[in-house]
Amino acid sequence: MIMKLITTLIATTPLSLIAFAQMGPIRIGVVTPLSGTYAGIGQQVKWGLDMAAKEINAGGGVMGRQIELIYEDEEANPAVAVQKAEKLFQVGKVDFLTGTVNSGSTLAVGQVAERNGRLIATTVSFADSITADKCSPNVFRVNARAGMQSAALAEWMATTKPNANIFYLGPDYEMGRSTVAAFKMAAESKGAKTVGEVFAPLDNKDYSPFFGQMRSSRPTVIYTSVAGNDTVRLFTQMAEFGLNRNVQLVGASGTVTSQNLQAIGKAADGFVTGVGYSPNIDSADNKKFVAAFEAANKAQPDLYGADSYGVLFFYKAAVEKAKSTDTDKVRTAMRGLQWATPQGLKVMRAGDHQAMQDMYAVRVNGGKFEIVGKVAADAAIGPDACTNF
Amino acid sequence: MLDTSISSKAVRWLANVFFLGALCFAAVALLLGDVFFLRLATEALIFGGLALSVDLLLGGVGLLPLGQALFFGLGAYVSALVLKEWQASFWIALGVALLVSALAGLVGGVIAIRAKGVYFALISFGLAQVISKVVFNTRELGASDGIIGVPQASVAPGLSSGDPVSFFLVTLTLIFSFYVGLRYLMDTPLGRQLSAIRTNEHRVAFLGFSTWRFKLFAFVMAACVAGLSGALYPMLRGFVSPELMFFQVSGNAVINVIVGGTGTLIGPLYGSALLTGLRSVVGSYTVHHQIVIGLLFMAVVVMFPRGLMGYLIPLLQKRMQKRRASSQGDF
Amino acid sequence: MNEALEWLQFVLAPQMINGLSIGVAVMLMALGLTIIFGLLDVINMAHGEFYAIGAYMAVTLLSLGLSFWWALALTPLVMAALGYVTERELIQRVFHSKDRHTLTLLLTFGMAIVLEDVLKIIFGANPVRIETPIPGGTELVGLFFPNYRLFVMGMGGLLIAAVWLMVYRTPLGAIVRAAAFDRQMSASLGVPVSKVYAATFAFGVALAGLAGVLLAPIYSVFPTMGRDFVLIAFSVVIIGGMGSIKGAVLAGLLLTQVQSISSLFISPVWNDPVLFGIMVLVLMWRPQGLFGKFGHA
Repeated sequence: MIMKLITTLIATTPLSLIAFAQMGPIRIGVVTPLSGTYAGIGQQVKWGLDMAAKEINAGGGVMGRQIELIYEDEEANPAVAVQKAEKLFQVGKVDFLTGTVNSGSTLAVGQVAERNGRLIATTVSFADSITADKCSPNVFRVNARAGMQSAALAEWMATTKPNANIFYLGPDYEMGRSTVAAFKMAAESKGAKTVGEVFAPLDNKDYSPFFGQMRSSRPTVIYTSVAGNDTVRLFTQMAEFGLNRNVQLVGASGTVTSQNLQAIGKAADGFVTGVGYSPNIDSADNKKFVAAFEAANKAQPDLYGADSYGVLFFYKAAVEKAKSTDTDKVRTAMRGLQWATPQGLKVMRAGDHQAMQDMYAVRVNGGKFEIVGKVAADAAIGPDACTNF
Repeated sequence: MLDTSISSKAVRWLANVFFLGALCFAAVALLLGDVFFLRLATEALIFGGLALSVDLLLGGVGLLPLGQALFFGLGAYVSALVLKEWQASFWIALGVALLVSALAGLVGGVIAIRAKGVYFALISFGLAQVISKVVFNTRELGASDGIIGVPQASVAPGLSSGDPVSFFLVTLTLIFSFYVGLRYLMDTPLGRQLSAIRTNEHRVAFLGFSTWRFKLFAFVMAACVAGLSGALYPMLRGFVSPELMFFQVSGNAVINVIVGGTGTLIGPLYGSALLTGLRSVVGSYTVHHQIVIGLLFMAVVVMFPRGLMGYLIPLLQKRMQKRRASSQGDF
Repeated sequence: MNEALEWLQFVLAPQMINGLSIGVAVMLMALGLTIIFGLLDVINMAHGEFYAIGAYMAVTLLSLGLSFWWALALTPLVMAALGYVTERELIQRVFHSKDRHTLTLLLTFGMAIVLEDVLKIIFGANPVRIETPIPGGTELVGLFFPNYRLFVMGMGGLLIAAVWLMVYRTPLGAIVRAAAFDRQMSASLGVPVSKVYAATFAFGVALAGLAGVLLAPIYSVFPTMGRDFVLIAFSVVIIGGMGSIKGAVLAGLLLTQVQSISSLFISPVWNDPVLFGIMVLVLMWRPQGLFGKFGHA
């Protein structure tokens, strides 16, 4: 009897030693803009991640190990993001990295991840290229991409405003133009007509020079892909000039978010967009999430906060499935992985590392994002255009 | 009173300290197997090259460039394109970047040189704004995402830009050659011309020299130094983005020069090294690193307009004088 | 013929009138900048930040319960005090060096960096908006114009006229111009030159702050708003002539009209490059701008 005990002890000691060595925290790096124009988005990302980390750690962590988040400010500049990412990988020895906001940063940091043999996930960048022509085996995306957002919106529009006359106003840079082009294609394929298209410079102060053209084209729908402060100016100036009466305003998901909603105020009422999350999603999970988020941060979560919250659970599920934090094993586990988020169940498509989820058409009303439509995940996702792996 | 022979001795001493110190740093890093700090230091050197080009104009000729990042970014993009689309060779990339920078410097110089003082600064600023916006919108150049997937450049068989230590040394050598070259230039008659122009441009014209030609030359030189430094960036980081041309980069370069010490050529290198390190460290502790850097910069402008070098050189001078005096006094 | 008239009435005229409201904003900013340069020989790269501070001050006063009109009246006074202190404590320190232009440019550049971050710390990164104090609009030449914009145009015009009168038709203005023209002489005639300098800087800053308040309901308020007008204000000042009030006003008016009308034909993305191009041309062929320097105008 005692011999059995002793042999068992001898047999299990090496295992427990190894297990002990891996008992340290799982370090996750977060490179996100904490200063500069996108600081508001970075703030939501931080809130979402912090809350998820707290919950996961309170529940025993991932495979018994606590999660430790290390933050670095990327100032929305890819050059800085790359430097900080390398610091986190090399000096901070993080196992996983997330938080990049603009597409340039995500792509550049993805390269750094490849060089360091680690994985990253983005929760904000929505440029299609990240999981299409510029896809990388080390980059995953848990948020909806631009094509999915357009699909949801186009679907809603086709049912509520069939054969609409659409006027397009976008910010004049690559991303803005391609967002407009993507939606235009989706809308026209469902029978809408284009009555005008203008592009305003980024950070444009005054949109009144465009209003003459807007008015004379007599649109029933106005689509815009401006964002941040530009939206505040556009919408309030349109309201000033009475241009938002008898017209349906629609736009990209980044156009009206919790960062600028308060500043836009009443002028945003009636705006509809296609997006992957709304605080008004009617599920028990989401209600719990929103309540906890509001209690912790005195602010409502938006899509960035929600998706950032979800990414840690994604990582947790992958590590638990792979039973290790080794990059290759986790990558394999992530492909095809299903995990629960406040928005419902998401599936990570193996072919291009793009998360599939149900998309919503959402209307802004009195400071709230009401749900007015829904498109199923496989209808919204679009084809797998990734050929790099 | 500045004794030029001693002051240049002091400067030479400081320069030696800098480059030898860099070599020691590389040795230590090699022993420790470090990657991040070597790359950070390489980046500091690359931006030091940009600071050198600003100092050539500001300290050498007396023109404040607020848009030098234009040439830096241009060199970076050209280098990235050459490496990615044509040949992953260090020398070819540098060669093409040199050519393009020289051309761009010529065009930019012709536009900007006619103006003086703050007008020059604003033209330089405006040029950078306009061109960077064009690049930001050009899909073939990657638009706002920039160009990723730039392969490592091969310097010599077996020596590529992927290896942190060897690329650090390669960059150090290049920056060293810029420093030595510019130092030598400022001592030639041409260099003296430029100093004269900085001191009193009107008088130089009366002495029969065409100031315009000299200023243009300096501008093109500065563009080349900036462009070549920029060409090293994609070799280090494997990507380029339009942010490399934005005002932030130009502004940081000016700050590096002022804090380091205008006109000393070694000052900007010290400034770049110090501030790159400072930005990285401060940025990890607080989100408000801009305030820290801004306040530091303001303090330097108000209290130490000659920068770090301006503070150290007189000190060194005194010590050297004492030593000289004491050695001469002994029988 | 009818078509041409229609085009004039419904396309060109509203474009020009809208251009006017932008023009007033630009003119106010350029005015402050040119006064500061004209008299003090100081290049104020932080001018945009003072504009932003003015707007935020209005936001703060409104949140304390005051009406917009009180904010409009009080903000310039507070801004003037801020400007006075800045000039005495900071600018004076680099004022007496040979490299004054460069050093003040750099100093104010540093100030701008710090101020922008301070605004972000105090007010957060997200935009804020002030409700339009005069809602609704009126029909003019058959088109709709928001009332508040008409107010801004009128107010701006009045301000510009007031500044002009003050500088060119009052004893105070004469003192200021004298101090600009010949500092030593004015001092020996009993003019408290350093106080005049500080007061002038304060005045320029107050103008920027006032522009911030006036424009806040139209353009919204956020920490990086200081960058909005920098390039265009400096371009206008240079084209009009550093130090010339007449130049700032006329150049501001002209350039914003050119931008407005040209946006009917070419994409507005070209606004900045075109403006910059004009500035370069002016600098190459007539460096002192259209109307030359303050002290000598």
